[in-house]
Amino acid sequence: MRLAVAAVALAAAVTACAPSTTASAGHQGKITLSVWGWGPEANFDKMFAEYEKLNPGVDVDARSFTTSTEYDTILSTGLAGDSGPDLAWLRAGPQLQPLVEAGRLLPLDTKDVPGLADFDEGVLRAAKGDKDGKVYGVPFAVQTLQVIYNKKIFADNGITPPKTYAEMLASADKLKAKGVIPFAFGGKDDWMLPIVASIFGTAHWGGDEFLADVKAKRKKFADPRFVEGIDQLNKLKPYFPENVAGVSYTDAQILFSSGKAAMFPGGLWELNFFGENAKDVELGVFTPPTPEGQGLMPGFTDGSYGVNVKTRHKAEALKFAAWLASKDYGRLYTDTLRIFSAVPGVTPEDPLLAEVATAFDQHGATYFMNEFAYGNPSSAAVFSKALQEMLLGRLTAKEAAEQLDESVSTWL
Amino acid sequence: MAVGARRGSSYVFLVPAFLLYTAFVVYPLFTGLTYSFFSWKGTLRAGFAGWDNYAGLLSGAFLDQLLPALGHNVLLFAGTMAVQNTLGLVFALALSRARRGKRALQTMFALPYLVNPLVIGYLWTLLLSPAFGPVNALLKPLGLAMPWLGDPDTALPTVVLITTWQWVGFPMLLFSAALGGIPQEYAEAARTDGAGSWQVFRRITLPLLKPAMATVTILSFIGSMGTFALVYALGGSNGAPAGATDVLGLLFYRTAFASGDVNAMGTSSALAVFMFTFIFGSTLLLERVLRRKA
Repeated sequence: MRLAVAAVALAAAVTACAPSTTASAGHQGKITLSVWGWGPEANFDKMFAEYEKLNPGVDVDARSFTTSTEYDTILSTGLAGDSGPDLAWLRAGPQLQPLVEAGRLLPLDTKDVPGLADFDEGVLRAAKGDKDGKVYGVPFAVQTLQVIYNKKIFADNGITPPKTYAEMLASADKLKAKGVIPFAFGGKDDWMLPIVASIFGTAHWGGDEFLADVKAKRKKFADPRFVEGIDQLNKLKPYFPENVAGVSYTDAQILFSSGKAAMFPGGLWELNFFGENAKDVELGVFTPPTPEGQGLMPGFTDGSYGVNVKTRHKAEALKFAAWLASKDYGRLYTDTLRIFSAVPGVTPEDPLLAEVATAFDQHGATYFMNEFAYGNPSSAAVFSKALQEMLLGRLTAKEAAEQLDESVSTWL
Repeated sequence: MAVGARRGSSYVFLVPAFLLYTAFVVYPLFTGLTYSFFSWKGTLRAGFAGWDNYAGLLSGAFLDQLLPALGHNVLLFAGTMAVQNTLGLVFALALSRARRGKRALQTMFALPYLVNPLVIGYLWTLLLSPAFGPVNALLKPLGLAMPWLGDPDTALPTVVLITTWQWVGFPMLLFSAALGGIPQEYAEAARTDGAGSWQVFRRITLPLLKPAMATVTILSFIGSMGTFALVYALGGSNGAPAGATDVLGLLFYRTAFASGDVNAMGTSSALAVFMFTFIFGSTLLLERVLRRKA
């Protein structure tokens, strides 16, 4: 008897879970769109509440996985089964390809998501399938890489953001003499190494033009200009913390937020971290100049919103995706997260962010590592390790660049 | 007849355990094995790949990571044997002579291995941090400050020391138990015959500890080969600095979860099968050799 009751209950539950054939509103006249991503959940709730206001029939249920390293596994498992979300944050470029190849995502076009037509081609590339060239996501963020500095320490030492390379070194010397670490940088977490190398080196190798030449196999990374670029890490070593290869990323963050260091070369996402953990530190940003003059500010697309190919609410999901590609959402994203939205034509409210936006517009470049992160082991992992060895004095800059060439040659 | 029937019915009691073992051990292992013979598109199984995934493990770029990682596992094993297990024996011998506080001391030595290796690793990165760590702050006035985890030459020995710090209580307990099982009469008889304490140790205690040593060696080997959590906490998934603490576990983690390679599932399954075969085979061999001697 009990068994029969259980069987009936089970059957009822299964029917309730079964995909509804009509993609429109459910029983209660309200459908739920589930969205997965990483980062603080409160941000999602705040942003999606706006969409719910505009679309009373839709309830957006955001779930955030704070352990971002496990997110990829959770997402690929979810999308492979039936437990996946309707929409999800996707990684950019190489990390996106396994999901595309497995056919887990719905290709998006400008018919469903008109906003995609206005996106910058360089931004959109990070959300495309490498083989079929189709767009699989609406990019949400663009990250820029630059030097963040402590305005008070600068003012106390009579320093201003450097206009020339010589001025930058002179200021660093001045800070060092006062017992302040000029650049808070740690080489122990090796993913930071290509980031910092690109902050100081992109202008040396000539930004996007050089990357295009490497892709077309006209040039190699062992080119003297690239070698000179990454050699900046060696040249600036006296201005990094002592025993730099043993200093971790979090150590570097603490060095800066505690005022022991004056500058932090890193991504724009650090502004959020420092804004919360070093509230009394007034932040400024600059692009490091080179001996030739103006420096370049590298940037990359951080990720995108994709639609699960198995979604039960395709029409609603696509409508939501269209909103995610709109300026309304772009503004909401930038002002909520203090990060650039990937939606074109959004001017940030935050003055510091606006300053970075102007600089990126004028002197922006592509972050080289994300374009060359393919292969197994990935060229990014190989080169990060090579840079670490270079910082330890075990490889020359040229040898490190040659290792990158060798790794890239396995897949390019 | 009655005996046969009883034996027959006794097998029935094994069925639940057998089913659980099959479902949770045999089946996953077998699945991993089959995965390694297919090529993958993300989580979607594509065509049969034969030995391709295994050939991939031996390709230049991958082999350049595999061999050093394996080498570091072996070095960790050697270091563990030399430092941790020797100290464990010394502590066990010292404790066997202690008149008071034996249990309290045993518990204290064994305490760190109740803590998760990830936590231990995190604590030690803080202690050894060149920017804020108290260890170097104390050693600096003496001129003994070291880069510890920041230099490839000192990183792996530092890992051995931290492993020792955590696990030394384990061989100590095993050796203590074995020492407790050696009848006092042997040593007394030897002393009556004029043997010194070194001779008693060398000729009586040590030979009788051999079975315990075999157990400790085999467990240390399995532990060193499968290590992941501690090295991950100390040097991240790439085995910083410069891959000096890279081990098979980290290589597997990177290949399976962090490479972004479309065929990551195939390559990592092949690597898992290789690791299993290598550890299982070596353990069998080690067991043979050690048991024969013991």
